[in-house]
Amino acid sequence: MLRAARVGRVGVVGAPVAKAAVVASAVSPGPSPIAKAAVVGAAVTPGRRRRI
Amino acid sequence: MSEYDLAELGPVDYLVVEFPEGQQNFTGEVAEELVRLSDAGTIRVIDILILVKDEQGNVDAMELSDAGELGELVKLEAELAELLAADDVVNLAYAMDPGSVAGVLVYENLWAAPFAAAARRAGGQLIANGRIPIQAIIASIEAGDASETTGA
Repeated sequence: MLRAARVGRVGVVGAPVAKAAVVASAVSPGPSPIAKAAVVGAAVTPGRRRRI
Repeated sequence: MSEYDLAELGPVDYLVVEFPEGQQNFTGEVAEELVRLSDAGTIRVIDILILVKDEQGNVDAMELSDAGELGELVKLEAELAELLAADDVVNLAYAMDPGSVAGVLVYENLWAAPFAAAARRAGGQLIANGRIPIQAIIASIEAGDASETTGA
């Protein structure tokens, strides 16, 4: 049950929120989740140069 | 604004963390980590709600204080600003699957506040922000790997 103070106030979210893709769905199939996590970790490691 | 200077505020974000039916394993670890982030001054917890969506799509919203034994969350509960309105519950619950429970967390990124304030003082204004999903990073890496393999 929401507190009365929340009822009738203008909201801050503004619009219906779309469900984000779930990370777990991105780690299969293919390499094991641990291997994929390592690759992602390497990709966001400081010093890695972008390839343009 | 008395306690907080607007110019010194950090960005405020929200998260909706869904716990699907049959996959709920509440051990208190999430609460411990949240309290740890707050105690460390990384974030300031502004609001917390617990949403329950039944199989018919009906949503019930609970205050943290109605969630039973709070443990370490007691100290956070006392400081909540109750920013979210009833209208927000409808919008946030839209993302939930039927049969799930979700925790909604609104928090100020205290860690970002000094940088944001400095940027404002320098005349900067935030014109875009966002989150890069892990899926997008994986897709980018895989696309790069594929193009290297094919020589494209």
